[in-house]
Amino acid sequence: MKTYTRPMGAWWTRNPYYLWYMLREASCVFITVYALILLVGLFRLSQGKAPYERWLEGLASPLSLLFHALALVLVLYHSWTWFKVMPKTLPFVRIGAWRVPDRAIVVTGVCAAVACTVLIVVLAATT
Amino acid sequence: MRKIEIQCLRYHPVTDAAPRWQTYEVPFTDNMSVLQGLQHVKDHLDGSLTFRWSCRMAICGSCGVMVNGEPRLSCETFLRDLFPGPVRVEALNHFPIVRDLVIEQSDFLRKLESVKPYLIREEVPSGKTFLQTPRQMEDYYQYSKCINCLLCYAACPQYGLNDKFTGPAALALLHRYNADSRDAGKAERMELVNAEDGVWGCTLVGYCSEVCPKEVDPARAINQNKINSTKDYFLRFFKK
Amino acid sequence: MQVVQADIVVVGGGGAGLRAAIAAAERAPKLKVALVSKVVPMRSHTVAAEGGAAGVTRGEDSLEHHFNDTVSGGDWLCDQDAVDYFVAHCTEELVRLENWGCPWSRKPDGHVNTRFFGGMSVQRTWFAADRSGFHMLHTLFQTSLRYPSIRRYDEFFCAELVVEDGQVRGVLAIEVASGEVFLFETGSVVLATGGAGRVFRQNTNAGTVTGDGMGLAFRAGAPLRDMEFVQWHPTCLPGSGILMTEACRGEGAILVNKDGYRYLQDYGLGPVDPWPRVKAMELGPRDRLSQAFWHEDRKGRTIRTPQGPAVHLDLRHLGAKKIHERLPLITEAAKTFAGVDAVKEPIPVCPAVHYTMGGVYTNLRCATPLGGLFAAGECASVGIHGANRLGSNSLVEIVVFGKAAGESAADHARSSHSKGADLRKRAEQAERSLAALLDNPAGERLAVLRDEMRDSMEAGVGIYRDDAGLRATCAKLAALRERYRRGVKLDDRSRAFNSEWLSALELGFMLEVAEAMAHGALARRESRGAHMRLDFAGRDDARFLQHALAHHGGAGAPRIEHRPVNITRSPPKARHYGGEGKQAVLS
Repeated sequence: MKTYTRPMGAWWTRNPYYLWYMLREASCVFITVYALILLVGLFRLSQGKAPYERWLEGLASPLSLLFHALALVLVLYHSWTWFKVMPKTLPFVRIGAWRVPDRAIVVTGVCAAVACTVLIVVLAATT
Repeated sequence: MRKIEIQCLRYHPVTDAAPRWQTYEVPFTDNMSVLQGLQHVKDHLDGSLTFRWSCRMAICGSCGVMVNGEPRLSCETFLRDLFPGPVRVEALNHFPIVRDLVIEQSDFLRKLESVKPYLIREEVPSGKTFLQTPRQMEDYYQYSKCINCLLCYAACPQYGLNDKFTGPAALALLHRYNADSRDAGKAERMELVNAEDGVWGCTLVGYCSEVCPKEVDPARAINQNKINSTKDYFLRFFKK
Repeated sequence: MQVVQADIVVVGGGGAGLRAAIAAAERAPKLKVALVSKVVPMRSHTVAAEGGAAGVTRGEDSLEHHFNDTVSGGDWLCDQDAVDYFVAHCTEELVRLENWGCPWSRKPDGHVNTRFFGGMSVQRTWFAADRSGFHMLHTLFQTSLRYPSIRRYDEFFCAELVVEDGQVRGVLAIEVASGEVFLFETGSVVLATGGAGRVFRQNTNAGTVTGDGMGLAFRAGAPLRDMEFVQWHPTCLPGSGILMTEACRGEGAILVNKDGYRYLQDYGLGPVDPWPRVKAMELGPRDRLSQAFWHEDRKGRTIRTPQGPAVHLDLRHLGAKKIHERLPLITEAAKTFAGVDAVKEPIPVCPAVHYTMGGVYTNLRCATPLGGLFAAGECASVGIHGANRLGSNSLVEIVVFGKAAGESAADHARSSHSKGADLRKRAEQAERSLAALLDNPAGERLAVLRDEMRDSMEAGVGIYRDDAGLRATCAKLAALRERYRRGVKLDDRSRAFNSEWLSALELGFMLEVAEAMAHGALARRESRGAHMRLDFAGRDDARFLQHALAHHGGAGAPRIEHRPVNITRSPPKARHYGGEGKQAVLS
């Protein structure tokens, strides 16, 4: 029997859930670029003080600031979605007979991430 | 009585080249579901409107449709929540349309069969039940609640882009048997798990688990098995 | 016309059909089994059954207890040899289901748990949360995939049985997707098509439960038995009829009227304390509970809801933990369909038609009087339910007799070798008359005839019946059949996936099955089990300890004859529920 297959087309625009998903996937691009910038910085550091200073100056440019602001927002979003999805990658977590609910796993993950962030910021500020 | 506009995507395989929308004005009461709205159309306005339904209580899985762009069971989606409308109803996404709101489901049935959804064991039991504690049952029970309604396939863009992907419900059912303490068939099902179109076809969009009316959480069933699949891949080198 | 040759055709892919197909495949793996169903098997109505399946397991239980509960539950209209066979095979079938993966709910030690059910003296109801039918059906369907000799024909609508010289020769079925008519040539047919509750307006049944198999057999010359016995399930959501399982009461829920009074104590089911207590109050049998509702409504003590009168099913005292663990499906359903949180509020419920005790008459081995025609499950009357079915006897019936029917069909297929005359001519003739339905230029709308039938059945063949009401319904049904014959006008004239056409065929079956019910009720001038007559109160064992057999009357009304019930060792006694007793420990 003849059937009709509907084309996928721009499927990600048809449902807000898909848009948020695509944003999550797109955030990887920003994260990759950020990582590359850091790698470049590391490389410049190995080349000497002057190249490194020039790289640091480059970071202060308006374009760079804009990029980093966006990247920060997207990394935060990406991290949030990462933790939200974490329970789905694990088998049931149990403490004795009690099954740890997914919400608890997410909250634990987020709190740990926040704690680490605070620690790193404090360390960076005080050294 | 209040009225609400229901728009249905119509398609007839013999007379239509492509689907087209048709609008119906349906009087409704507070407890009427979209299914009852469709039934009103079929009984009193247009007997040719075609859709699947059966139990009316969200357990048979027949009545899956897209309601305003979301995969829903029409029997437990209520017109009062969609008022003032219009309510746009079309066949489940990512499946070929047979007619009107009816999809071609044989692809899913083939996939269901392919995951070997039955207990695989060496010994034949001797007229007694296996022992299984409530805790052991908890390991697989939620995955056994799947009513095969296909909302998860309609939600999954990977399935929409590539219909060779085994898909959420079939993979959840596969996991249901792997996780059952009475089963010994993990090895037999591994090939399907490891395939490109097995668990690796999933990019954890997660919409399948959102729309599942029975809280089966197929996303979890699939993504847990990515760990198993990886382990299997590496351990294979040690087995040799 | 497409022709399919099969050694066995199973019509219906629910619990009984799947079990029959598996049994046939195991009995004779070389035979070709065609499983023909108008819906994909997991949509079959078995899926909606909630409460559980009965099987003797506990030390303090025995086959004799199960036998006695069933026979008295059926108000002694049961064929006792059938009940003996039945109770002896329940547990082994439930064990087999477990071995096939069915997730029966467990006790902490890992053994299968059992609970009380209405009319049962000991806990013997195996349950899988409150989705027992769902789990059984999916287990059977998934297990059936292992048998290469079972070939499924999903979404094929069986429209006619081809019978010649009292022998089954084939089945004519419409492939729903294309509208093409297929001829299945076979000498063995198992009907497993379920009940006919949709002939009534308020019912718990799915849209598919239209008595197709009963209609097919009836037209082919097989009699329908005990059709007047229709079960009203006492606790369903008003309006939709959605089922609130008896398991609620098995776990200790109570029923109260608008004054908060546990009214069942006024109807021979008390005293109230101690509660819970076996076979007393809310753990009484379904017919008594539905009848009590009818009386309460007459007295004006029911609660008025927008969907009609109701009473309250109160679960609150069970506590949230037990409710969510044991009754998750009905909690969901009460929330979704009635907007009620079962943990905090009572659920409004009323009786709705649920089960058809009657059906195609078969013997113990599921054979009908027609050669090669077998039947199992709700569509059959093998004689175990009598005048009233006990809850949890049906889910186990489908596997016990599904197996028997499958084996009987396999044995018949292996032993009979006669090839009938060319059926193609007959098949083409049938196809023409099926197609003719599509072409009526004028006629009434399907929904009009259907709703008139359902209203008339509700009014005249309800929980309580009388002569005038029954005669009125019999006349109405005859008139409806005539109007149906004159023509139904379909909006949908095409062949491809024409569900309106199939609904018209279903209506044809329903009208004839409804007639058998109404005429059977008229002829039974006594009150027994689920059949209550206002004009003939009380059982009349002298004249009506008999089965009623309905024979198809062609264009006219069915002919009802009575035949004795097979009483072996339990002579009819008064049916006792309620009374003194100790408090039961629920599972």
